[in-house]
Amino acid sequence: MIHSSETIGPGQSGLSRFFMRRIASSLVSLSLIVLAGGFLAAALVRYSPGFDSIPEDLDPAVSPATLRALHEQHLKENSLPRFYARYLARAAHGDLGISENLKTPVSELIQRRFWVSAKLILLGTAGGWLLGGLLAWLAVWLRRASITAAAFSVSGLLLAIPPAVLALGFFFYEAPLSLALAIAIAPRVFGTFRALLAECYDSPALLAARSRGIGPGAVAARYVLRAAAPQITALFGITLVLAFGSAIPIEALCDVPGLGALAWQAAISRDMPLLCGMALLITFFVTLVHSVGDLAAA
Amino acid sequence: MKRALAIGLLALVAISAIFAPVIAPYDYSRQFRESPNAQAGHQFPMGTDDLGRDRFSRLLYATRISILLAPAAAFVSILVALAISSLSGLRSTVADQSVSWLTTLSLSLPWIFLFIMLRALLPLNTRPEASILLTFGLMGFAGWAWPARIFRASIRQIRDSGWLIEARASGISASRIALVHVWPHLRAIAIAQFRVLIPAYILSEASLGLLGLGVAEPLPSWGNLLAELQHPDRVRDNPWILAPLVLLMLVMIALEALQPVREQLREVVS
Repeated sequence: MIHSSETIGPGQSGLSRFFMRRIASSLVSLSLIVLAGGFLAAALVRYSPGFDSIPEDLDPAVSPATLRALHEQHLKENSLPRFYARYLARAAHGDLGISENLKTPVSELIQRRFWVSAKLILLGTAGGWLLGGLLAWLAVWLRRASITAAAFSVSGLLLAIPPAVLALGFFFYEAPLSLALAIAIAPRVFGTFRALLAECYDSPALLAARSRGIGPGAVAARYVLRAAAPQITALFGITLVLAFGSAIPIEALCDVPGLGALAWQAAISRDMPLLCGMALLITFFVTLVHSVGDLAAA
Repeated sequence: MKRALAIGLLALVAISAIFAPVIAPYDYSRQFRESPNAQAGHQFPMGTDDLGRDRFSRLLYATRISILLAPAAAFVSILVALAISSLSGLRSTVADQSVSWLTTLSLSLPWIFLFIMLRALLPLNTRPEASILLTFGLMGFAGWAWPARIFRASIRQIRDSGWLIEARASGISASRIALVHVWPHLRAIAIAQFRVLIPAYILSEASLGLLGLGVAEPLPSWGNLLAELQHPDRVRDNPWILAPLVLLMLVMIALEALQPVREQLREVVS
């Protein structure tokens, strides 16, 4: 017993050290990516068209010399490093600036629309996983040429339809839009999930399990899902990004008051503070999801 | 058989796109103001749109733009990805990590969001010809991250190989090593990535066109032709409005059928 505890002890501490290192490395990566994302966002806002104009430009009473001096002062106060420092300091306190088009704080606009998009994206992702996962399962597990061909055909067909067109169809027939998003995501899940399942299916451990007569459900729960958990976690992160990307045209075309529609309106009206605030938040959340996926994989 | 069908279909579409000015009965922008929303018939094989423009002619020209420029955008993406990921071969941890972070940063934003951010920086009321270059050029520049991640993985694998160490030891410059020795090794992956990106860009252009952020009118593209689908009453009256969607789906299915390299790519990524 003493021997085993002695051998387990250092192993556990080694494991915890390993995890601490991974967590620290993920946090450093997350911070650097968000800082870089913040810098790009600040640079885009700083150099967006119209940023260098000042209210006095429209005042005919201001002399050209004064106007020149005011412009020089404006440029000095808004040099990129200074502007970035101010932008980051404000962003750290939740202040992402004011939307130029809607004249409302960006954080307030995002808060208002966040749950609409979150509901659509989560339902769509869940549906996409169910549909794509089921197709992959059928293709790999049943091992019948006709079913595999049918699964590939369905996936290929779904992949060929632009998500926005799917959404329009669902919108006109008053079907849930999350289902359109699910159909758009399903073929992407199918492609990767099928490859993962096929790899697991042919592994010696699974061959042994199947030869002992263990049922497909038990094999899936005990072996396949456990073995493929890291890749599945990583794929989940990717599908969340995909879902947000697909939600933009869906929300914009079907009048859903979510973040996707907000992003589209911001692009049309060239509302850079709003676009950049959204980019910063999306970068943070997506990198967080990827970091959690990496840690789970580790 | 499946591949032959796919190649046949793509060849047919490509030929009709290239020879659009010969095949199309009218110019894509010619308006027959006396017959807006005309039904399909002898004069207009697929009817006309609300401005009286022949749908068949517009579809041919749209195919030309969408199917010929998507490969050009994919080529730009591959070039940018190769250039950026080559920094990973410099045996510098800082350069390699920078490439990794830059790639992760680009991938952490949904592609379409990144595109509309870049598009918003540029004038929205551009000339139609300029809008083609902007749309496909931006697609090319914004879509570098996926191929770059795969190139980086391959470059990391080969950067410590014997022949590369020998090349460095014999004093060959880094740029020459990249161009003459490393890039040819990445050719197969580059071709595979190129083929993966083409359907992705065709689909993206369709989504952007529907949102009004793609190719500008009066130039036709599959994206802005699909915008007519926003009027279901018109689709009921004239089902030929669905023709661009059907053609797009057929081309996508054909391109998907010609993707035998997925498994190899996955191996490289893993």
